[in-house]
Amino acid sequence: MSLKNVETGAFPGAVARPRTWSITRRLTLLYVVSTAVLLLAAGGFLYETLQRNLEHTRRGLLAGKLEVLRLLLREHPRQAEALANEVEHEASASQPLKYYIRLLDEHGRAVLETPGMSPRLPPGLFPAPRSALGEARPEAETGRRRGALLLVSARLPVGKAGQTEWTVQMAMDTALGDALLENYRKKLLPVLGLGLVFAATAGVWVARQGMAPLAEITRMARHISASRLHDRIATKPWPAELAELAAAFDAMLTRLEDSFTRLSGFSADLAHALRTPIHNLRGEAEVALARGRTPEEYQHVLVSTLEECDRLARMIDGLLFLARADDPKTALTRVRFDARQELEVVREFYEALASEQGVRVTCEGQASLVGDPMLFRRAISNLLGNALRHTPPGGQVRLRLQARGDRAVEVVVSDTGCGIAPEHLPRIFDRFYRASDPHSRIPGGIGLGLAIVQSIMRLHGGTVLVQSVLGQGTTFTLCFPGAGPAAPAGPTAAGPMTKM
Amino acid sequence: MRILVVEDEPKTATYLHKGLSENGFVVDTARRGEDGLHLALTASYDAIILDVALPGCDGWTILAALRQAGKLTPVLFLTARDAVADRVKGLELGADDYLVKPFAFTELLARLRSILRRGPARQPEILRVADLELDFIRHRATRGGQRLELTPKEFALLALLARRQGEVLSRTLIAEQVWDMHFDSDTNVVDVAVRRLRRKVDDPFARKLIHTIRGSGYVLEER
Repeated sequence: MSLKNVETGAFPGAVARPRTWSITRRLTLLYVVSTAVLLLAAGGFLYETLQRNLEHTRRGLLAGKLEVLRLLLREHPRQAEALANEVEHEASASQPLKYYIRLLDEHGRAVLETPGMSPRLPPGLFPAPRSALGEARPEAETGRRRGALLLVSARLPVGKAGQTEWTVQMAMDTALGDALLENYRKKLLPVLGLGLVFAATAGVWVARQGMAPLAEITRMARHISASRLHDRIATKPWPAELAELAAAFDAMLTRLEDSFTRLSGFSADLAHALRTPIHNLRGEAEVALARGRTPEEYQHVLVSTLEECDRLARMIDGLLFLARADDPKTALTRVRFDARQELEVVREFYEALASEQGVRVTCEGQASLVGDPMLFRRAISNLLGNALRHTPPGGQVRLRLQARGDRAVEVVVSDTGCGIAPEHLPRIFDRFYRASDPHSRIPGGIGLGLAIVQSIMRLHGGTVLVQSVLGQGTTFTLCFPGAGPAAPAGPTAAGPMTKM
Repeated sequence: MRILVVEDEPKTATYLHKGLSENGFVVDTARRGEDGLHLALTASYDAIILDVALPGCDGWTILAALRQAGKLTPVLFLTARDAVADRVKGLELGADDYLVKPFAFTELLARLRSILRRGPARQPEILRVADLELDFIRHRATRGGQRLELTPKEFALLALLARRQGEVLSRTLIAEQVWDMHFDSDTNVVDVAVRRLRRKVDDPFARKLIHTIRGSGYVLEER
């Protein structure tokens, strides 16, 4: 991997990433938009209310006047003085809501009017009055707006008999109220602008404050490198939202560190495992060449060389198998097969060896599995081979198939052998790890058997468990998930077992 | 039997030449792809052993050109890459078999003989090696007229050795052919099985038929 790759790998998207807005920018924008909506809504509502109240007051006033006139005309039609007072004096004196009144008789002639009304408001300007006979519905009087004037007209019966009807025309100057509303409208815009500027500033500040721990966590994460994988970031008290991220990040670091440790352990073990056969090859060849030998002696050396080469070739095969199994692109052959039949095939293969050693191998149970039968056979073969190696004469190895409740199938390989010490159990599935004396070489073993079993189980979406009691025997349990798409089996509580 | 070996790695080429010659083959060796293709197209061979990675043109190109020219010479190709895609490609191009390096020489010999044998090879019903007689119909083995009590697997093992008498069979090949164990298995098992077979087939008799070739495997032959 080139350095460039490493850099872009560490900071993906630092150079060319699809345009996304920073969180600060997004938060600020949200603040501004919500503030704008809020201010507009509040301003609009208040304006509307003000306008409505104003209108209500105006019409109420006009309605009140109309009612007074109606009463005067009906009850005292001949008291012109009172009418004149009402029309000429009250109206012209009224402040601040200035209004005008004109009374027209049944022939349309002006009887009375507020002084100064005629030039501005000729009678023809007013809407035609609707008949107001009987009903007293002041709100429903016909009204018309003309500039800053509210024009209302109505018919009023004269005298109790009510044979004749006069028309009343009223106009109200609304300029004052309109100026108030105008003023309100003019101020709303600057207030809105100011509010938005404030919201944007506050938004940036709040977002920066809120994001500060994130910047801090980024800074800490940046300091963690392959050589400093033991550092953790959840050591500080983070806000609740980030605590989970920090914990997840730390968990990932733990897994990475574990993988790194295993990988370097594996490299060391591999180096050791390779060193031994190469050391043997070299040493034997050197010694053989040091002086003349008989053909038999040469033959012996060459045969030994072949054996070591065989070991190396098998190791390479095993490692390649594991590498392929680890490759996520590796596809598994999936067929339904009779597991019992496969167990019998493997048992038959080992039969001669087992009976030479005086160990009894038995098969029990029935089950069908979905997967690669050759890999299944390989896993069982590795386990049975191991079991036979560690079981003394008179012992027994049982291969048992059992169905579990959740449609999963367990293959149990148990022996009555020497067992594995508890301290070795967690590592026996590691490549080249040897539970017994690491320098003792078991004939036929290349130190990859259990690693291969584990990776075969992983390919099948299953698990392998081991349980061992020193001096009494070891039990391996292969758990194949229920037929169907293989999903990695979830963690199972396994008591004293070590789950791999 | 004339064999062409196209292999650029000098040590491999040398030992293949030597080993095959000693096993009765006439061997031509080419180090470069173009030379190999030229020889394969002009001379007549019974089989060609072809390395995939070659300077000049690679093994696949040679194979394709050969088949295009209508030459049906059996081809066994050698590859250092154990990728399934590689094998499939080779077999699709018309190779007869393949071997992944590192391989045992006995394995190469066995495969080579097997592709040379292909064709109208009918299995005899009764096979005789010295005084050993195998009856494939009744699944019975006798020696000097004396019935040998063999388990089915022992009979299968003896039959394999007898059918390929004179050929050294590696433990891996035996495990594959007799027990269908197509992977690296405990080869110790094969030794034990052969030892038990010998007890029945050879021990009671003066002339031994099954021989151990140290470091390679087993062979059944009259010596």
